[in-house]
Amino acid sequence: MSAPVYVTETGEALHGIMAEFATPADLYHAAEKVRDAGYRKWDTFSPFPVHGMEEAMGVNRTILPLMVAGGGFTGAGLGFLMQWWMSAKDYQMLTQGKPFFSWQAFIPITFECGILFAAFTAIIGMLALNGLPRWHHPLFKKERFLGSSDDRFFVCIEAGDANFHPERTRQLLEKAGATSIELVEE
Amino acid sequence: MSHAATSSIHPLRAENISFGQGAGVAPGMLLMAAGLGCAAACGYIGYASVGGVTAKHALAAYHVGAMSVLAMCLGAMFFSLVFHLLQAGWVATIRRQFENVVSFLPVAYLLVLPTLIIEYMAGGKLFKWFSDAAAGNVVLEHKASYFFLGGEIGTGHAPFPTFFAIRAVIYGVVWFYLSRRIIALGRRQDQSSDATPFAEARFTSAWGMLVFALTTAFAAFDWLMSLDYKFFSTMWGVYYFAGAAFSSAALVALVLALIRMRGKLEGAVTSEHFHDLGKLMFSFTVFWAYISFSQYFLIWYSNIPEETNFMKFRSEHYGTLGVTLMIGHFAAPFLILIFRKVKRTPGLLMLVALWALAIHVLDIYWIVRPMVYAMPSEAPAGPVSVATDVLGAAGPLLILAGHLVKRVGSTPLVGVGDPFMHESLEHRNYV
Repeated sequence: MSAPVYVTETGEALHGIMAEFATPADLYHAAEKVRDAGYRKWDTFSPFPVHGMEEAMGVNRTILPLMVAGGGFTGAGLGFLMQWWMSAKDYQMLTQGKPFFSWQAFIPITFECGILFAAFTAIIGMLALNGLPRWHHPLFKKERFLGSSDDRFFVCIEAGDANFHPERTRQLLEKAGATSIELVEE
Repeated sequence: MSHAATSSIHPLRAENISFGQGAGVAPGMLLMAAGLGCAAACGYIGYASVGGVTAKHALAAYHVGAMSVLAMCLGAMFFSLVFHLLQAGWVATIRRQFENVVSFLPVAYLLVLPTLIIEYMAGGKLFKWFSDAAAGNVVLEHKASYFFLGGEIGTGHAPFPTFFAIRAVIYGVVWFYLSRRIIALGRRQDQSSDATPFAEARFTSAWGMLVFALTTAFAAFDWLMSLDYKFFSTMWGVYYFAGAAFSSAALVALVLALIRMRGKLEGAVTSEHFHDLGKLMFSFTVFWAYISFSQYFLIWYSNIPEETNFMKFRSEHYGTLGVTLMIGHFAAPFLILIFRKVKRTPGLLMLVALWALAIHVLDIYWIVRPMVYAMPSEAPAGPVSVATDVLGAAGPLLILAGHLVKRVGSTPLVGVGDPFMHESLEHRNYV
């Protein structure tokens, strides 16, 4: 809450500054400049994935793989435990003269439980790390932003960033080659 | 985005993709001589029964080495064909190393033959169907035509294994032609950037893949599964193939890591290529586990005596070896190769690759060894017994190593005219 609160001319809280770029290359180089200026709360928007953008933005690798591994091993362990409890402990039933605790027979379900938990962790973890689902995003109010699903490229630096300054941030984006710059209301 | 292609020094400059004329010949020949020496020593131990080691024991030790090396060459053949079929772009700078391993395939085939010839001449030592053919056996009678094709069994002496021999000749012809063809088409890219050889290679790969699959599977049936003719598994061919793909990916990773350590292919083969090779190793260690467990699982479940005996026998008397394979061929590589860092660091990947090659030999050992000694304790004690196993496996492996050193040293490391060269030079893993 220590960050200064900015408002637009209409008195609404400021979400950030949105800058439009004409080409993916412009966006890429602009991202490098924003990254080097030390901003953390910002994002780029393009109609298609731009290769190498993670590095240009200085985005760290996601922790999702670790979560998926955790989910997978947990699922496999629980699946095995479940079968042991059902077949060898709680309700012993002789099948084909095989031992109650036939670990061989447990492997396919153990494997499938591992996959199931890993897949759920992957999809739910991905949504959670992306802050999804959400009802709305301030950028959607901008008519110009519709171009981000067509042929336009955008950078938006949020007002909540520690480095954010209405003038200096605008100048940075101008120098980076923005073709238009707009304030975005919260 | 600092790509090698845009740097001032081009990665395909002549001195970066070649070790120079005649390099590697001397060390290669030396390694091959050492390999021949190992094989000869193993043979002599068996022939003269040094330290109580039988001919059967020595023959099995050598068969383990020969079949391991054959698997590596067949795996490299598989990758060469599949890269052409899928028109994989990223492999353009590493394709030649797969082809170098493939170039050993005819020799690997020839290395298997002595075992088969000795088997015939000695009336069967290792292959039970051959020694049992003289006396006759109810089970063997039903399978006799697969080996003997019309020859009568149970007459006191084994007939000539006609069909078995015909198949062996077919494998040899097919592998010889396919390997020569793929390598020759690859070499044509050294000079010309014309895409015709590439298109021809794709055509060859299409029918070649089918022929490759059949010959590999049946070679595995003939030369490994038939050691115990009462046992049968329709998954045997793919089981052998799984180990082949795993070990050949490891072998190529090892070769490339060594080339990079000698300062060649800088900027042409990068962490990105090692990353993908690591992924191939990772996928095939999982594939091997999937196939070997499925094979075991179906046999365990249906519980048919002649099938089950194979597994029961091994788990009772060779249990430690089996557990070692479960951990060493699957669990450990899985948990190590899951890390991105390991796959992207050539030095680390090289260590995993060395481990993979060793564990692959142990996998073949697990198949062959119990056919020699029903119990591990039956093997003669003492250093000669262990030395026989090491020499037998090391022989073919060292000959392969020598061949690779010689060939990598004397041929261009990259076919510069490869139509996908630009893709490979700019290859990147974005995840």
